Amino acid sequence: MSAAENGAREIKVKAGRHRDATLYRALAGAGAGDGRSLGELREAALKSFAASELPVWRRSGFWTTSLESLDLDALETSVEEQGVPDVVTRTLPDRPRAGRIVQSAGAVVEVELDEALAAQGVILCSLEQAFARHGELVRPWYSKRLPIDRHKLEAANAAFWTGGIFLHVPAGVAIENPFELVYAVDRPGLAQYGRTLIVGAPNSDFRVHEYDLAEDFEGQSLHAGAFELYLQDGARCRLAQLQDWGRGEVYDVSTRFVGVGRDAYCHWLPALIGGHLVRQHLELAVCEPGGDMAFRGIFFAEGTEHLDVFAADLHETGPSGGDVHWRGAATGESRASFEGLIQIDPGAQQTHTYLQIHSMMLSPRARIDVIPSVLVSSDDVSASHGGTVGELDEAVIFYMQSRGLDRASAVRVIVEGFFEPLISELGDEPLEDLVREKIARRLAAAREDIETYATSR
Amino acid sequence: MADLEIRDLHVRTEEREILRGVDLDISRGEIHALMGPNGSGKSTLANTLMGHPAYEITQGTITFKGEELNDAPPHERAKAGLFLAFQYPVSIPGVSVANFLRMAINAKREEPIQVKEFRTQLQHAIELLDVDRSFTSRHLNDGFSGGEKKRAEILQMAMLAPDVAILDETDSGLDIDALRTVAEGVQRLHDEQGLGALIITHYQRILHYVQPEFVHILMDGRIVLEGGVELVERLEREGYDQIRQEFGGVGELAV
Repeated sequence: MSAAENGAREIKVKAGRHRDATLYRALAGAGAGDGRSLGELREAALKSFAASELPVWRRSGFWTTSLESLDLDALETSVEEQGVPDVVTRTLPDRPRAGRIVQSAGAVVEVELDEALAAQGVILCSLEQAFARHGELVRPWYSKRLPIDRHKLEAANAAFWTGGIFLHVPAGVAIENPFELVYAVDRPGLAQYGRTLIVGAPNSDFRVHEYDLAEDFEGQSLHAGAFELYLQDGARCRLAQLQDWGRGEVYDVSTRFVGVGRDAYCHWLPALIGGHLVRQHLELAVCEPGGDMAFRGIFFAEGTEHLDVFAADLHETGPSGGDVHWRGAATGESRASFEGLIQIDPGAQQTHTYLQIHSMMLSPRARIDVIPSVLVSSDDVSASHGGTVGELDEAVIFYMQSRGLDRASAVRVIVEGFFEPLISELGDEPLEDLVREKIARRLAAAREDIETYATSR
Repeated sequence: MADLEIRDLHVRTEEREILRGVDLDISRGEIHALMGPNGSGKSTLANTLMGHPAYEITQGTITFKGEELNDAPPHERAKAGLFLAFQYPVSIPGVSVANFLRMAINAKREEPIQVKEFRTQLQHAIELLDVDRSFTSRHLNDGFSGGEKKRAEILQMAMLAPDVAILDETDSGLDIDALRTVAEGVQRLHDEQGLGALIITHYQRILHYVQPEFVHILMDGRIVLEGGVELVERLEREGYDQIRQEFGGVGELAV
């Protein structure tokens, strides 16, 4: 069944146009940051922007992600500082933190950093300010692994970004409380080009919680993001991202790269809870021997949402470890597509990695496609993948009903239980509770749909 | 009047009539055994009593504490005080035994149970069923052995304190130690809480550890023979075939 048939989205593909934007491979080697100045990079990106079309990602026979319905010309960037949007105040948990930075539209509207950490040399500021004041810490890393010319929105980000987020954790500094990074879209008609750069110096140890939030509004807005995190020798980071773009027509096309250095470790968990059309290119790469990673992910699609995730577990050297585990559910008429790639480059010997993806259908009109792929160019490695596709199990529902839970509660318990192995891995109670609450709220919104589905079988 | 009254119950599933006029009375504090060969309708009766949507009542009534239950959803029956220990308990990944128990208990109450009260109850139940403390933090039935699953069923029964519990072949697939624990658990809940139970079984084994006052024999969708514990002994001696020859074809009630 094509997406057009199930009514999710009208798809038109213009011959030839998509070719350059078909990207089901890991980013190759170096990014755009090759010693050029920021100005030169912006200029090059601008040329690429002018010369390219809006991207279409296609997986023949599986899915197409097209931005054709996005009216990019009608959107505006804004650097006006209008304060912290309500949705941020409403959503973020009240909890101790290392620091917080909030970008609304194109401007950073709040920066807060624990004084003791600032005294230890931790830097949390807008990326613009970082270029002005800490150039020596920024330039070697900026766009080190991110290209600027694969498609129009990537080029737009590199050319037009304002504000931006920069976090630098100095060598040996260990911090228990999280840094909260927030991108907020508070109104329709906006194009937000978010740009994040995080550097964990050798043996640093820290947590990052990113929130991508939008008010519920009518009309289109765009978040085109570029995110880089580099962990130097022995650095450790737990990176979580909670994305809920609300009920508006928010498009999110983002590329995220996490590079793990020698004996460094990253636990990365994006929770993609909502967005009108979301395309995420995510890469977690072990770049130096001894690097290790746990790449987790959660998605929940409802209504007519369209989600397209490409998640790569990239091993450039060995020995290295990887462990990819995603879980996703879809209801309504939503579409979710997930491609998980294990790529082991030549010479990355003694790499051991595993990819698993579990999905759950909560509606007959929703669709989840999963493609696991493995590209191995070394011989002394182990790489495998597995997964399950499930739907609501009537036997389980009856079991819980027989214990006194009503049907809606039973469904909630099943879905929460499905996600729980990953949620509990966050190891941070306020964030765990927030993710659970977000999923429960989405589920409640889809309740009628789920009821109909269950009783129709 | 008995707490649970089943009158002339006819039940159909997948286009076949399985129960063809069952009458049964069970009250708090009574232990009943329902025995019968494979395919006689034992599990159908258990599932129907709990309100499984695949079983359709075509005739007759189920009344519990004076209220007719024929159309009540399963969770309402549970709240009213019925319990079903499943023959094949399903696993619920991601939900710990303790959390599930708390949810189930709270579903029956207006106010959520206090943490301390819950712990006390749980501790009592754990001792009763001879399970390890770590048992309650494991995901419900997920990766449990057959014996652990049945223990988890009885643990839930102890915590939810129903008036009448239906145990659907709880003894099947259990080794002798697990069988004894489970059976003794039922007996103690009967002695301490006044539990009423309908123990459904194919074999006599479990009835060596828990003493039924009433024994019913189900064949071809009807109860063909009723009596006391002496019926179990007769069955042990003669087997189902002998009884089938006597009553199977006729299907009339006998004492």
